[in-house]
Amino acid sequence: MTCADVQRVLPEIMDAGGDLEFEAHLKSCPACSELVNELEWIAAESRELAGSEDPPDRVWVRISNQLRAEGIIRDQVDPAARPVVVPAPARRWNAWWLAPVAVAILVAGSYELGHRNAPSFSQVAQQPTQQLQATPSPSPQTSATNQQVAQQVPPAPSAPSASRPVILAKHRPTEVASGPASTARREISPPASEEDAQFLSEVSQYAPTMRTTYEKQLRAVNTEIRETQEYIRLHPEDLDARQHLLETYQQKALLYQMALDRIQ
Amino acid sequence: MPHLNRVAAGKGNLTDPKQKITEAEAIEQAKQGDEAAFEVLYQLHKRRVYSLCLRMVSNPSQAEDLAQEAFLQLFRKIGTFRGESAFSTWLHRMTVNVVLMQLRKKGLPIVSLEETLEADEEAPRKEFGADDVKLAGSVDRMQLERAINRLPPGYKTVFVLHDVEGFEHNEIAQMVGCSIGNSKSQLHKARLKLRDYLKSMRAEKAKTG
Repeated sequence: MTCADVQRVLPEIMDAGGDLEFEAHLKSCPACSELVNELEWIAAESRELAGSEDPPDRVWVRISNQLRAEGIIRDQVDPAARPVVVPAPARRWNAWWLAPVAVAILVAGSYELGHRNAPSFSQVAQQPTQQLQATPSPSPQTSATNQQVAQQVPPAPSAPSASRPVILAKHRPTEVASGPASTARREISPPASEEDAQFLSEVSQYAPTMRTTYEKQLRAVNTEIRETQEYIRLHPEDLDARQHLLETYQQKALLYQMALDRIQ
Repeated sequence: MPHLNRVAAGKGNLTDPKQKITEAEAIEQAKQGDEAAFEVLYQLHKRRVYSLCLRMVSNPSQAEDLAQEAFLQLFRKIGTFRGESAFSTWLHRMTVNVVLMQLRKKGLPIVSLEETLEADEEAPRKEFGADDVKLAGSVDRMQLERAINRLPPGYKTVFVLHDVEGFEHNEIAQMVGCSIGNSKSQLHKARLKLRDYLKSMRAEKAKTG
């Protein structure tokens, strides 16, 4: 067997093993022997790469949100559970504000993507907030709950940070944000924590068993929004990032909508 | 009028390591729409799925979307899973299909059109000096990852599916739509290219010190 023969049969016998003639040639030919050893080494090392990367937590958040939206995830009822009598809430109509806030989140996200010099999100988000202000003020109990919840939920940051978002960091060159944060061209911040706090307060009132889940998902999506906005601030030309930001706003709007569906 | 609410008591946390359930139990509970069961299945397989996507498309954002889509497709169909094959095999194949569909949508070549090796070489190529440094021990995993990312799309697909993910050639041929012989040929060429890339990285490193 010649070296050319080895080259010809290698694709077929590389993983299956060669015959005696092949093995004999390898013993007598250092070049072919080294080639085969190195190709085998590459194959063996590559096997170790399977399942070596962890996806970020937000992937599960999106999956579970979607499964819930499609009705594939269903609330489980434990037959052994004791029924609990819950007084009927005096004003169930408070939840109506979730719908316009969900829409406002989506509109703000789309507007931000379409206009580089978009107004601050707070200006856009104030529209449903102004509608809220026209409604009767919440009960003292609700206000106290709001305050407690506001203290627990980390507010979405209004000032961009210098850190690079994890989601888009992996294969991008290291960059350092230069210059002080410009308040004149401040990017839109995620919705004010007041809305998030009131959202969680409503969830606590009308779907208490889901509060932890919603809080966790809200935190994850706010973090995602914040990091993506910061990334876009540094890379305004990145269309993928802008699309990603819009999808994240959609996720948040979906979260509000799901709560609304549950409460009504 | 007071409303009656049933509060689920003692449902437990299926992701709590103290309350482990088997994959089979998680599958059955997921068929009933149990969120915790879905999460157990996700946690069990997320690394494999995401890593496969990332290696095939080399883009973390796209890999996230593809992994998400693969799990969603799986969970939508979980009611049809009868256990004829391993759950992981089912998920694995679904993931590959999702990725390949994405590559096809983008018009990227999945498998090279070449069918045969060039047979005009008399001896294996021997480059980069007589005193070559062996690959083993001189190349780390990061370099191997970088080399894999450099592979042309057609070679990369077959290489990742076979050497990284462990699919057999008959499976790869079926998934990508080529012959078994072509799959073997592509794999061999991919390995040869990787060998060249790794040796050039090693030589470059030796030059720069």
